[in-house]
Amino acid sequence: MDIFSGLLSGFQIVFQPVNFLYCFAGVFIGTLIGVLPGIGPTGAMAMLLPTTFGLSPVSSLIILAGIFYGAQYGGSTTSILVNIPGEASSIVTTLDGYQMARQGRAGPALGIAAFGSLIGGTFSVIGLMFLALPLAEIAVAFGPPEYFSLICLTMILSVYLSRGSLFNSFIMIITGLILSTVGMDPISGKTRFTFGCGTLIDGIGLVPAAMGLFGISEVLMNLEESLERVIFKAKIKNLLPNLEDWKKSIGPITRGTLLGFPLGILPGGGAIIASFVSYALEKRISKNPERFGHGAIEGVAGPETANNAAAGGSFIPVLALGIPPNVVMAILMGALIINGITPGPLMLNQYPEVFWGVVASMYLGNIILLLLNLPLIGLWVKLLKVPYRILMPLILLFCLIGSYSLNNNVVEVIIMIIFGVAGYVLRKFDFEVAPLMVAFILGPIWENSWRQSLVMSDGKFSIFLEKPISLVTLALATLVIINALIKYYRKNKRRFIFE
Amino acid sequence: MSQSRIIVSLFWIGLGIFVMIFSYKLGLGRLNNPDSGLMSFLLGLILVLLSLYSLVLSLLKKAGEEEPRKEGRSQANYGKIALVLVALITYSFVLEKLGFVITTWIFLFLLFRGMGNKWITTLIASAFTVLATYFVFTFFGVRFPPGIFR
Repeated sequence: MDIFSGLLSGFQIVFQPVNFLYCFAGVFIGTLIGVLPGIGPTGAMAMLLPTTFGLSPVSSLIILAGIFYGAQYGGSTTSILVNIPGEASSIVTTLDGYQMARQGRAGPALGIAAFGSLIGGTFSVIGLMFLALPLAEIAVAFGPPEYFSLICLTMILSVYLSRGSLFNSFIMIITGLILSTVGMDPISGKTRFTFGCGTLIDGIGLVPAAMGLFGISEVLMNLEESLERVIFKAKIKNLLPNLEDWKKSIGPITRGTLLGFPLGILPGGGAIIASFVSYALEKRISKNPERFGHGAIEGVAGPETANNAAAGGSFIPVLALGIPPNVVMAILMGALIINGITPGPLMLNQYPEVFWGVVASMYLGNIILLLLNLPLIGLWVKLLKVPYRILMPLILLFCLIGSYSLNNNVVEVIIMIIFGVAGYVLRKFDFEVAPLMVAFILGPIWENSWRQSLVMSDGKFSIFLEKPISLVTLALATLVIINALIKYYRKNKRRFIFE
Repeated sequence: MSQSRIIVSLFWIGLGIFVMIFSYKLGLGRLNNPDSGLMSFLLGLILVLLSLYSLVLSLLKKAGEEEPRKEGRSQANYGKIALVLVALITYSFVLEKLGFVITTWIFLFLLFRGMGNKWITTLIASAFTVLATYFVFTFFGVRFPPGIFR
């Protein structure tokens, strides 16, 4: 299917009233999640996953994708008005966005964030469209060895690019892989680590695990600190940035798009890294960098564009290869698998409507988001005032209902609580849980591709080096490891000498 | 900080050894012909080795210098955290016996009140939420346990 007719069929799918409604619901919930404290897009997607099981695959993907990129919009609103990032990829927006609000320029800040997001988001969907198809055509020829190597590279990169300590991220990857072995071994039929629990024979469920790690543990973290918010009490006016603002912002928006999109494709932080890199870049090339941190509109326009461009880019590896680059995409992929579709190159041939439907919904969703966020900004500001003491019990209840209604099984609820407590303790000790989730999703594919490759080659490991793509990928992975070790050594050199 | 790092390392070492023992029982096979337990065995081994390295580092460091302790939110709301955990666990054990409506109502009542809402807010919010979620989710085809309303 060529791009034009594909996109046309996609729009036909999206403009079916049902799917239009789901697209709207997705971006609406996404904005809501971004604005409300204490729950991020990952937790929200996990919470809503069970309600999408009854939908068609394309509808469920449309709503989940909408939550993801919608949250990028909503997150900036709280950054600007309350100085609290709605979610991680809007952290840098607080630096200049909140300062702009204090100077009475909350309107233009919100406006440029929304327009930047629209531009970044739209261009990244165009990029997604043009890149995913050729990539999938190459990837159709991939066998188990190529997948094994690609997943190795993905996991190593996501450790390398993670925000926290490399050591801790690596431990999290290993733990995620171990957790993914729970359940029946598909090759030998033996059950592993189930300890007589029937629910675990199919493995640990994605939904209770994700809800625990990103819903419950988030609530527990938030209970530690009081989430009292000081909301900026100025009237928000002049949402449309003036000519001067546009002149200053057009550069950052262009660079943010070009920068964010490829960063989104890379495993690891995606949107979060993109926003930080964009801010650093704008500050460096600015003629008067001292304005940054005191309400420079470039510091809002660049990162807000970059995080949305990255959000679009991160769909490429999951849709074209079936390898999620970050935790949000891992949950999206889990949703597809539960719907009976294995994401990857074959999906684009077998279920083109899923791919094109989602692509078209993202064009539409970005426009809906602009309309939702600018004229209706007052509504979101009101929602900002919902106190956490009301919100928290509701988040917990939704997690409970979500995990129970999966199979009407209380054991799933208990699994969720265990993951919630574990996630809380891990966070307390500075372990980031996102890499764990990515490894947990990739684990079964990784193990199977390893074992299938060895069956193919009669037990010879040379198979991973004979296939050119696998060889290049493994070489890249080795380079990343060497680089990380050199960095680690340099950082600790003094300590080693001291000892 | 250093002390907590030692405890953390010991935990991962314990987990790694546990995983290795159970993987060994599953059967390892050979490296080029793996059986069910091999992957988790190797992962457990990596976990143990990494944590041993970290443990040695922090022990060496402890002898030398003590890192400044992170102070700050030491006076955390552990009471509230305990309340949430007890509520969650009780919920999962009582849900199928008492049924969705009553269990959820008690759950919400305790949490709303425990978070410091006024009595009147607590009453209205918990009652409203129970009814709203019950009807909305039932509409979407979720079957809740009826409990004593059987």
